[in-house]
Amino acid sequence: MKQKIKGLLGAVLSLSLLLAGCSAPASDTGATEDKLNVVATTTMLADLSTVIGGERVTVDGLMGPGIDPHLYQASEGDVSLMQKADIVVYNGLHLEGKMGEIFENLSGGKANVICIEDGLDESRLLASEDDSSAHDPHIWFDVALWKKAAKTVADGLSQADPDGKADYEANLESYLKELDETDTYIRNRAAELPEAQRVLVTAHDAFQYFGKAYGFEVRGLQGISTDAEAGTADVSALADFIVERQIKAIFVESSVPPKTIEALQAAVKAKNFDVAIGGELYSDSLGDPEAGTDTYVLTVKANIDTIVDALK
Amino acid sequence: MSPQIEIQLIAVIVAVACALPGTFLVLRKMSMMSDSITHTILLGIVLAFFVTHDLSSPFLIAGAALIGVVTVWLTELLSRTRLLAEDAAIGVVFPLLFSIAIILITRYAGSVHLDTDSVLLGELAFAPFDRMLIGGTDIGAKAIYTSGILLLINLAAIIIFFKEAKVVTFDPMLAAVLGFSPAFVHYGLMTLVSLTTVGAFQAVGSVLVVAFMIGPPVTAYLLTDDLRRMLILSGAIGAVNGILGYQAAALLDVSIAGSMAVVTGLLFMLVFVFAPYRGLISSLLRRRNQKLEFAKTTLLFHLASHEDSEKDIKPDIDTIQTHLHWTAKFTSKIIGSLEHEGYVQLSGNLTNLTEEGRSASIRDYNALFSR
Repeated sequence: MKQKIKGLLGAVLSLSLLLAGCSAPASDTGATEDKLNVVATTTMLADLSTVIGGERVTVDGLMGPGIDPHLYQASEGDVSLMQKADIVVYNGLHLEGKMGEIFENLSGGKANVICIEDGLDESRLLASEDDSSAHDPHIWFDVALWKKAAKTVADGLSQADPDGKADYEANLESYLKELDETDTYIRNRAAELPEAQRVLVTAHDAFQYFGKAYGFEVRGLQGISTDAEAGTADVSALADFIVERQIKAIFVESSVPPKTIEALQAAVKAKNFDVAIGGELYSDSLGDPEAGTDTYVLTVKANIDTIVDALK
Repeated sequence: MSPQIEIQLIAVIVAVACALPGTFLVLRKMSMMSDSITHTILLGIVLAFFVTHDLSSPFLIAGAALIGVVTVWLTELLSRTRLLAEDAAIGVVFPLLFSIAIILITRYAGSVHLDTDSVLLGELAFAPFDRMLIGGTDIGAKAIYTSGILLLINLAAIIIFFKEAKVVTFDPMLAAVLGFSPAFVHYGLMTLVSLTTVGAFQAVGSVLVVAFMIGPPVTAYLLTDDLRRMLILSGAIGAVNGILGYQAAALLDVSIAGSMAVVTGLLFMLVFVFAPYRGLISSLLRRRNQKLEFAKTTLLFHLASHEDSEKDIKPDIDTIQTHLHWTAKFTSKIIGSLEHEGYVQLSGNLTNLTEEGRSASIRDYNALFSR
């Protein structure tokens, strides 16, 4: 049997080598030799890399709009994207799960890796409630942290492509201004609400940084990992909280199914209080061009508009 | 090696490594054990996380493997009591362990990204980018080595204990009489299943582990009854599924694991319909032939018994039809076919047995009733 299996393995291996030769060539995304190929994991990072890299880079995002990073499934095309990537940009803080570790290991190889986590001051990171060694990875809704991320990307690109340093710096500078304006916009809109009304109830704990930065009390129904389901006690406690604080609206999220938040709404109704569903917030990914929210700035503005308009 | 070739190589190694213990799972009617393990390992990961507080610790994988073994052992223990069937034992153990894990996460680790995917890679597309470095030299993807070791362990175990595993699988009583413990071999096999599941999960993800473990063996089972041949065929089918699946994924730009699982299912369907002996089409044909053969034998008996009877009644086609409750069409078909074979002669409406027909009838009678 040994002999047979050996022969079989040999046959299969040679078959696989043969077939590999005729696999379809990687879908070409129009990358040219003189441009840097950047692969970013989330839609937010793809947008950021496009802004900072400008004309000098081609950016491909692995995760599409509306995709929960925890449920991301790579397609065959992603293999070729990764293969020809000069630079990989990823969030870190375990957002990408095991993939993050692979990117970490890649930094030893030929490709350059930009990890947003590295550019963040640990004191600014929010520890997850139950375990101090793990951090909340949803850093992007605090514009101040996103400015740090922009700097990290600009530094990383300059390092990989020293000739373009001036361009990246210039892009960074104008983007930082835009981010400052965005920050002011969010603060102004938030100020329209009396402080007591600044309560954000949503499906998934993705808005802790947002809450801390803009003075919102954030109550999530589901833990950070979308795998964990909300317990009945959580739903009931949150319903009491909503009734007690007379909260007008609760929110669903683009990358989390709305059924948990609908269950919450029903629980509140059972306590003779009506809470509206205030709309859909973008949590783990940006929106799409049809909704006019395909950039980071547009998305965070859309979020604060949705929140403030519903809670008013 | 390009990542594309490495992915196919990993898929082939994992497929063969999974098919070997998978064959025994299928034969022992415990196919869903693999599905069970891919879920319960979450408990191992959670428990190990509580000890290490580090999501990237290798102990999390060790914990996963340990709980995998616990899962199969618990299931074995339950099914050995003979108070419940093997599939029922799986159905009790798997939800129990899995939900303990879920409860622990929601209760104590709600704000940590704690799920199977954050510890085990489970994504074939990224496997080639997880490199094995020795002294700074890149010697290939890590998954090639881990799954290669897995394959070697499985091959060695099955070659060394082939006879024992075979006897225990098909005749546990005989195994006990021959003096080796069926329990020992069972637990050994199941431990192999557990290790393979966790190792393969790391390389290819949960759905594909189940597909690779069960799909090729059930396909091979339609083609052969010989254990040795079934093992070899399973491995070959698994390897082909992996390669074809990758090509399909490349063509359609879709999830690689998903595409391989689909090809596994499709290949099974193909064999299920067209297999030479056990396939759907050949079963239908055989059933139809059996019906015809039976009708012909019946008619020969009928005619022979008429010849023996005192009254000299030559049965014509119409009386045959009423006596045997056949339709006119079926009767003429059977008579036509017997005439063609030279067992009956038609004279007008009357059917007469030929000499061959008479001896054929006697031969059939003896084959059926004389003992």
